[in-house]
Amino acid sequence: MLEFRTQGFNGYSVKYSPFFDSRIAVAASANFGLVGNGRVYILGLTPNGIVAEKYFDTQDSLFDTTWSETNEHQLLTAGGDGSVKLFDINLSEFPVQSWTEHAREVFSVHWNLVSKDTFLSSSWDGTIKIWNPNTANSLTTLPTHSCTYSAQFSPHSPTILSSVSSDSHLRIFDLRTPASASNHLTLNIPIHTPPKPRMGAAAPVGIPPSEALTHDWNKYRDTIIATAGVDRLIRTFDIRAPAQGPIAVLAGHEYAVRRITWSPHLSDILLSASYDMTCRVWTDGSAMGAGGPAKQENMLEAQNMILGGGREMGRMGRHTEFVTGVDWCLFGAEGWCASTGWDERVLVWDCRAIMQ
Amino acid sequence: MANQTGRTSQAQARLSQVSNHLGGGAAKKGRQALLEKHPDDIVVTCALRTPFTKGGKGGFKDTAAADLLVGTFKALIERSGIDPKLVDDIAVGAVLAPGGGATEFRAAALAAGFPVTTSAKSINRQCSSSLQACVDIANAIKSGMIEIGIGAGAESMSQQYGPQAVTEFSELLENHKEAANCKVPMGVLSEKMAKAKGIPRSEQDAFAAASYQKAVIAQKKGLFDKEIAPLTVKWTDPKTDEEKEITVSRDDGVRDGITAESLGKIRPAFAKDGSIHAGNASQISDGAAAVLLMKRSTAERIGQKVIGKFVQASVVGVPPLLMGVGPAAAIPVVLEKTGLNKDDVDIWEINEAFASQCVFCIKELGIPMEKVNPKGGAIAFGHPLGVTGARQVSTLLTELRRTGQRIGVTSMCVGTGMGMAAVWVAE
Repeated sequence: MLEFRTQGFNGYSVKYSPFFDSRIAVAASANFGLVGNGRVYILGLTPNGIVAEKYFDTQDSLFDTTWSETNEHQLLTAGGDGSVKLFDINLSEFPVQSWTEHAREVFSVHWNLVSKDTFLSSSWDGTIKIWNPNTANSLTTLPTHSCTYSAQFSPHSPTILSSVSSDSHLRIFDLRTPASASNHLTLNIPIHTPPKPRMGAAAPVGIPPSEALTHDWNKYRDTIIATAGVDRLIRTFDIRAPAQGPIAVLAGHEYAVRRITWSPHLSDILLSASYDMTCRVWTDGSAMGAGGPAKQENMLEAQNMILGGGREMGRMGRHTEFVTGVDWCLFGAEGWCASTGWDERVLVWDCRAIMQ
Repeated sequence: MANQTGRTSQAQARLSQVSNHLGGGAAKKGRQALLEKHPDDIVVTCALRTPFTKGGKGGFKDTAAADLLVGTFKALIERSGIDPKLVDDIAVGAVLAPGGGATEFRAAALAAGFPVTTSAKSINRQCSSSLQACVDIANAIKSGMIEIGIGAGAESMSQQYGPQAVTEFSELLENHKEAANCKVPMGVLSEKMAKAKGIPRSEQDAFAAASYQKAVIAQKKGLFDKEIAPLTVKWTDPKTDEEKEITVSRDDGVRDGITAESLGKIRPAFAKDGSIHAGNASQISDGAAAVLLMKRSTAERIGQKVIGKFVQASVVGVPPLLMGVGPAAAIPVVLEKTGLNKDDVDIWEINEAFASQCVFCIKELGIPMEKVNPKGGAIAFGHPLGVTGARQVSTLLTELRRTGQRIGVTSMCVGTGMGMAAVWVAE
């Protein structure tokens, strides 16, 4: 396990470069992101450990970062002052571009993985904005009307994007549809829908809505999205059957889940980072031979929510504060990942070592 | 400066967002969750009572319920050091007072030194009136309607016990079987219940004698001193008709030397072959009690010392003729709501309306006898109807704190067929 200290800054997001297997970006904020400056680190993984190749300071906290898909030297940040900034690591100090249309904290930024000419941002102001790095204003604004913690382009289609927000809904937008009254919104799935009743398990009733904090598109199954948030459960949905409710529910985290990410290598594996100070590796039970029967001795209150045969495959408990960011390395052996959290640390580790 | 303010409120918003992430989802329950301290806890910063005295002959026989209340309020203000202006509302439980006592209790609040801006109401849920008063105040604080309140109880059974306390039933009620059961006298229905549930007299007498013995020991050790606020009142000597001023500082119903054998000699009161008598039923008494409630954040802001917190209450109806089973019905509900196991509870204050119903409830719930009413109960020192709920809070928190224990439950059966229970945590 490799370690880097973001002295004085509490981590909020970590992203591997899509171009280099040895480069990581970390968005961090002073004073736990409550008030004060932000800093984005560009870290290099070297034979001598992790070194900070560069960092940029910002006036307000940073909550997310993402690498450009077209330029290996550029990355975006999501700022507490509502700004989205594009930095170039060949330049010093100042951003190449800064967009300030959001009225409140920006919580996520994500680059279009297919067309690569657009990116998006989502904010506490209840909107998702789509941008072109070469224009000064946003191309489109999509309302969600509630604090949107996470938004992403589909990795399979250039015009489809998704979001989860504090109103406990997973939204799918398709930019090919006419804007009309629905603002490109094509699906609006209540995340708290209980799973369908099954043999031997009564359908849970009265699942209260709770804030959804994170979601991710499966990299292999193009209709599968995982969500997670304040109710501590990770769910997967199939957007072909939006009314069906979740197709898998994974329980185990003891506090809210702040970030989830599907493996770039295996279609059933995902990683989560939580306020309970752990990162956990899960299978959603979709792979042949994975999972197995749910443990009977597990007397969790949410037991009849557990669905789909998925299970926790291992956990990493080295963080000593809330874990807020986790990401997979796209290259090399399947299993290297990086995590960051409020303990001012970035850990780089191989999750195969913790899997059972 | 404006910018500074913006910064602060923004940081506040972000902080509350993160705390919502942590607090949300499946609500945490159980003993550990209960012991956590949160700024929005409803806490008790003072709980006290007057001594309880025997109806018709005790130290308060010539003192009106409202006067007892004035004395209690004055003691509460003095002991807690609360600024009376800060108290928003007062709820007083009373059962026998005509009109619920609403008028004289408001007057009592004013006489005790509360300003006209402090409102007051009376509440009557029979024997649980003052527990209901505490719960009402707690809920009003929780919802934000008020910030600081007092749940209290006041009863003069000497002056107001009698048939006039119940309105004559209409023909409509008389002709409805279950409705008509609501006015069957307590003693008569408890006698029937003792028979139906098979609680023998010997067991009732043993329980009652234990209540007396526990109270005697507690009184000798001075364990009631912390919860009792002595009161100076006028008292007419029945022998000489001379009016004197006396200071009452202890429960005068507690008698030494009572054993199951001595109680065994008393004639049953409600049926020739019955089992209930004056010695194994609660005493008729006078008294008052009050509990000062607010949020923890408020207590910290104004410098009040927290002695405990209110967690949750339950109220459940039972058949009027089986009113004595009330605690057995209400306690499981409140345990379920709070996620507590019965072993998690350190002390149970279950009102001893009659030894028969109390023994039945303890057996039914399967709780260890030594955890119930460790300083004795209503059989030993009295049950001024509307006061018992608030009295139990002061007795419970005092004993929990003295013994270093944490979680307690107060509960009682309620005339006309109900049970009420509440969970408290001492700090």
